[in-house]
Amino acid sequence: MNKKSILSGGASIVGRNKRYVVWFWLMNLALATIGSEAFSLRAHHILDQSLYSDRLVHGMDLGVFGEMLGRPEFGPLRGAALPSMMLALLFFVLTMIFLPGVLQGYASDHRISRGEFWRACGVNVWRFLRLTILSMIVIAIVAGVFSAIGNALGKAADATSNERLPFFVQLGWLAAMFLAMTIVRIWFDLAETDAVLSDQPAVRKSLRYAVHHTRHNLVRLLGSYVLIALVGAAVVAGGVVLWNLIVPPASVLGAYIIAQAIAFFFLATRFWQRAVAVSFYKSNALEDIVEFAPMIVAAAPVAADPAQL
Amino acid sequence: MFSSKALNCLFMAVFAAIAAASSSAQTLEIPSTTSAINSATPLSQRVVHYEIETKYDPKSHSLDATEVLTYHNLTGQPLDTFPFHLYLNAFQPTATWIKETNRDGTRDEMLESWDPKNYGSEEIKRFEVTGQGDLTSQLQFIQEDGNKDDKTVVQARLPHAIPPGGYVQFKIVFHDQFPETLERTGWKRDFLLAGQWFPKVGVWWHGAWNCHQFHGATEFFADFGVYDVKITVPQNEVVGASGIEVSNLSNPDGTKTIAYHGDDIHDFAWTASPHYKVFEDTFQSSIGPVKLNIMMQPARVWQEERHARILKQTMDRFDRWYGPYPYKTLTLVDPEPGSAAEGMEYPTFITGGTMWNMPKGLYIPEIVIEHEFGHQYWYGMVATNEFEDAWMDEGINSYTEVKVLDSILGPRTSTLNMYGATLSDLQTQYFGYARVADLDPMAQNGWEYFDYDSYGGITYGKTACVLITLENLLGEETMRQAMHTYFMRYRFTHPTKEDFLKTIEEASGKNLRRYFNQAVYGTQVMDYEVLKAKSTPVEWYKDDLKEKKGETEYNTDVVIHRKTDFVMPVDVAIVFDNGETVRERWDDNGNNRWVRFAYTKKAKVVSVEVDPDHKIQIDRNNFNNSKLVEGDGKAARKVTNYWTFVSQLLAQILTWWMV
Repeated sequence: MNKKSILSGGASIVGRNKRYVVWFWLMNLALATIGSEAFSLRAHHILDQSLYSDRLVHGMDLGVFGEMLGRPEFGPLRGAALPSMMLALLFFVLTMIFLPGVLQGYASDHRISRGEFWRACGVNVWRFLRLTILSMIVIAIVAGVFSAIGNALGKAADATSNERLPFFVQLGWLAAMFLAMTIVRIWFDLAETDAVLSDQPAVRKSLRYAVHHTRHNLVRLLGSYVLIALVGAAVVAGGVVLWNLIVPPASVLGAYIIAQAIAFFFLATRFWQRAVAVSFYKSNALEDIVEFAPMIVAAAPVAADPAQL
Repeated sequence: MFSSKALNCLFMAVFAAIAAASSSAQTLEIPSTTSAINSATPLSQRVVHYEIETKYDPKSHSLDATEVLTYHNLTGQPLDTFPFHLYLNAFQPTATWIKETNRDGTRDEMLESWDPKNYGSEEIKRFEVTGQGDLTSQLQFIQEDGNKDDKTVVQARLPHAIPPGGYVQFKIVFHDQFPETLERTGWKRDFLLAGQWFPKVGVWWHGAWNCHQFHGATEFFADFGVYDVKITVPQNEVVGASGIEVSNLSNPDGTKTIAYHGDDIHDFAWTASPHYKVFEDTFQSSIGPVKLNIMMQPARVWQEERHARILKQTMDRFDRWYGPYPYKTLTLVDPEPGSAAEGMEYPTFITGGTMWNMPKGLYIPEIVIEHEFGHQYWYGMVATNEFEDAWMDEGINSYTEVKVLDSILGPRTSTLNMYGATLSDLQTQYFGYARVADLDPMAQNGWEYFDYDSYGGITYGKTACVLITLENLLGEETMRQAMHTYFMRYRFTHPTKEDFLKTIEEASGKNLRRYFNQAVYGTQVMDYEVLKAKSTPVEWYKDDLKEKKGETEYNTDVVIHRKTDFVMPVDVAIVFDNGETVRERWDDNGNNRWVRFAYTKKAKVVSVEVDPDHKIQIDRNNFNNSKLVEGDGKAARKVTNYWTFVSQLLAQILTWWMV
């Protein structure tokens, strides 16, 4: 299977299973809305009865916004930020719990039942917890090593008078770090897919399987993942530009709709990556079956239906 | 590479030659040259004439120099002591500047650790007074803060006093070691900005020498005069400096010597780097052409036009509003990246501040260039005492910054205008002030502020907000006339705070003492609020009352509360639901903390606003200045939507990488 077919296969899977993106987007939105409640209460308290807040309605006056954040009655910013952060963490945890069901659904040719979904989630909770902890450790190590080297390179580049050099060194190094972290993500995505689809209780075996296939199909997988990530970045950047162009400053509803459209499609790109992993896994499993299946030779042609002749 | 021993010999010889020449000339005087100004006659009462010859060694970031200073005693009394600033000695670990910077921070640094590369020094090798001999061994460092390790002011006591009207000539040989820039002056990579680099005599001001130590949060003060400076650097260096360039000669040893001349200036700075790309332009002022030298970093050459445009637009505003820029040159330096030399002013020489990838809608270069050019007027020509009255330079300059940038970039967008987000220059000034509003007064010695945030917030931010408020109360034209009068009357003098305040009173014809006493001399903080806005049916007690718009009569009760101690007359606008607006004025000299306005109308109150014309820019809380009886949650919903969206994206990105 070539890269295009993994990509299109993944896109096709996401398209057939749109409900997962919708549910996760709703979960993402619900949690963020709950997390924003502390911010919202403070903002309403300060802004609702003041004519001064009009400068936030008809434009985005950062001065007024900054004054609002600086008011003692708003309290420390971390007081508003903490609930949002906690609920972002909850989204992460819930994603970890529900993801096995999504992968099961992606791998299936039919729409899986709720029972199958929850069964996949339940069976794989412990496996995903272990995989997630391991992935966090590996990602932290990779990010740490790259950051340290990047900082050192940045400092070295800073010794020159060429102002662009440190910037591009940092940028290049960030790109390298992104690629390295994407490889780690491919590895763990395949391991998670294997854990669910082969019902593999031994996480180490899934990891071994994933590292083997990641290594042997790195270019194909990395290319697909990077391309999708670029689509995700374009969704956010393009969405923000569109937001600025078409939504009138005073239209809260318009801003809300376009913000949610950006959030939805950005989320969909990650699901696309996961679908690519499933698509790859399935095609790879098929190749394994083809490779190891005993040769079957038909003894005789099946009798044709005379009516079709 | 220069040998310091050989250099010393050379300088001693030069020094001896100058001394011999000087002693043979019986009379001393300050030149009355006008070649560097668009004026046929000198503009200032010239007190000093500095003749400096220096040779810079880029490898050691040091220079050796001879300085001949002719001083005209216009104090009206005999002088036998002369203090000199040695600013570069501030960059030593036990100096007052470093101690205070470590304690309070300063504009570029918190300075939590000491790096030997930041060491700087200004060492006097020889100090001679013509006709009075070599006084090197008698020099004494003096300190007003008791820090004996501080060597930023040295005092010479002369055997014979200089009579009133007399002249004295000092011949000084000195050696500078520049620091890697901590602030304003020094080197970075192969760049140098030489500011405050030579022994500079103090100012005799109000019957005493004014020559303060260099503090973490203070700037400078010096007398006007003439500067003739010769700078020798390697051939590959591109040099810019205060004043006009009068010669540029190549030397056989691979160096070149560039001579500069400045008239009616009180300081001299210069810069050297092999990387500058120099662009020339001209601004036509109302009294003559001004040559603009714009020295850009190679990666920022594409911003040269942006720099030139804002510089010329700013010069045009100043010329029309406040008075002419009389010098023939202005050098705008785009300093080395990361050099901490950005955003600084010296006579006819300013530094900008940008990055190679500065977005178009973020007006940092415009703000810095406008601000530094503005200093040419308030620091450069009016020349107030920045040690003791920092607000009169930085603050008045911040006020004119707001005015000029608002006129060029728009009043709501003069700091930022990108993707629908806006920020004005006045708001940035207000932020600086609001955080520290009750800590220090404007009229205070620069080194006595609580910390650098307070120094910056009050001297820059509060002053700008106080003067904008004053302008809103007096009228733009009156304030502009006051500023014009102040500039033209006091340029090339060293006015006091009262000179400035009285000029505003004179121009406005009003006694503004109550305002000045609170805003300038006091630490009072302003916060008016609408405490109550309520309409109740007159016949509220009737069980069968049916309210009908336009027919039911209401008692409306509005209470305005002065929460803090700044007293000022305020206007109040009360809007009723029949479209009627009632304006009131509360001015009771601070006798009461609140006032009640009561009305009986066939209409209910919709909103109440204190200061409906938004004249007051020093109220600490702008949100409680108004009250919408029926609240409107649109603004809160809008910003909450942003917050939610960002939370969603952050949650997704976290999940993207972790699971």
